[in-house]
Amino acid sequence: MANQFDGKLEDALIGRGVSRRDFLKFCTFMAGTLALPASMVPRVAHALQSGARPPVVWLEYSDCAGCTESLLRAYSPTVTQLVLDILSLNYHETIMAPAGHQAERSLEETIQAGGYLTVVEGAIPTKDDGIYCCVGGRTAVDLLQEVASNTAAIITVGACAFYGGWPATTPNPTTAQGVKDIISGVPIVNLPGCPMNVDNLTATVVHYLTFNSLPELDELGRPLFAYGRRIHDNCERRGHFDAGEFVQEWGDEGHQNGWCLYQMGCKGPVAYHNCPTQRWNEGTSWPVGAGHGCIACAAPDFWEMPAYETVPIVDQTPPTGYPSIEEEGVSPVTTGVVGAAAGVAVGVAGAVAARKLTEKEE
Amino acid sequence: MAKIAIDPVTRIEGHLRIEAEVDAGQVANAWASSTMWRGLELIQKGRDPREAWLMAQRICGV
Repeated sequence: MANQFDGKLEDALIGRGVSRRDFLKFCTFMAGTLALPASMVPRVAHALQSGARPPVVWLEYSDCAGCTESLLRAYSPTVTQLVLDILSLNYHETIMAPAGHQAERSLEETIQAGGYLTVVEGAIPTKDDGIYCCVGGRTAVDLLQEVASNTAAIITVGACAFYGGWPATTPNPTTAQGVKDIISGVPIVNLPGCPMNVDNLTATVVHYLTFNSLPELDELGRPLFAYGRRIHDNCERRGHFDAGEFVQEWGDEGHQNGWCLYQMGCKGPVAYHNCPTQRWNEGTSWPVGAGHGCIACAAPDFWEMPAYETVPIVDQTPPTGYPSIEEEGVSPVTTGVVGAAAGVAVGVAGAVAARKLTEKEE
Repeated sequence: MAKIAIDPVTRIEGHLRIEAEVDAGQVANAWASSTMWRGLELIQKGRDPREAWLMAQRICGV
């Protein structure tokens, strides 16, 4: 793909009518996403202006292109697009101009040059010698191994490239696998989610450009800045959980009032992702905000969890001063009931606390 | 008669291969193949029907 610009980022920003103020706002937004202190903003800005342009190849295998769509709907499109343009996106089937052997030649040239970042979207089918996904007459597993042989690092986007996602769900008809099952000896950063959130991809790229290294990862290879905190602990409906206010049926009074979705099957208590703070669609909303439970789409094999059944709460973190919630030996089926009972107890405690406050005021 | 193959076809969602037989500048015969199969119908079988919408929206993410 032709380079979007060859000069400095600052020149390109001015050329597209983006003020320096907007650019610095973007750098601050990125530093915030990466949980960096404000003092790091100038360093981020400097790195983005330095003009280093790592080449990137974006591979799509057993996917739905949803993560590509997420990429194309980046927050603050002008600036983000420019930052992503800093990358020399040499190969991306869904958006590149060349097709057929011309497309494959771009890939071959990039592999030969080395030092590129590889983004993988989609699972890799391995059954029957990998014939269930072929590009240019070669199987996904064969192509991925070749691309990985000379890459600087791999960034997997979405649930499918992470643990296999939907294609790998029981009975896994194509024996689809994640990148980690195929490739070893190459640094891998996983950005799961269904789809991945483009803010987290942009932030990972910004981290790479700023520090020339990949962000710190958890035991599943996911950046801590994006996957280090539990959804349940940062949820805007958490207060309703603590107060024992649960949606019992779609459209009931609790649902209309934005109460906790735990009993409707919300996976927030077992999901780690920055959705509650980062949100989606330019920061406007996210699934729980829109009234549906979390499906834990950044968790391994999340499709194996029934979407509308409650999950056990294994390490509850009640607010200080509230009675603890006893959950030992409770099956997933009864947890909802116990949760409701505990919620009622907590609700009473909350009412007592509120009354005391009132008394104090008097 | 020359035979040409365009694979991958880009700027689409999914994986597509086109093969064509060309005779004196005219396409005489052509074949299209989808070169990726995930078996989504087989995975959906026997699952809670309330989850069908979650899956249907992920057949194609465009």
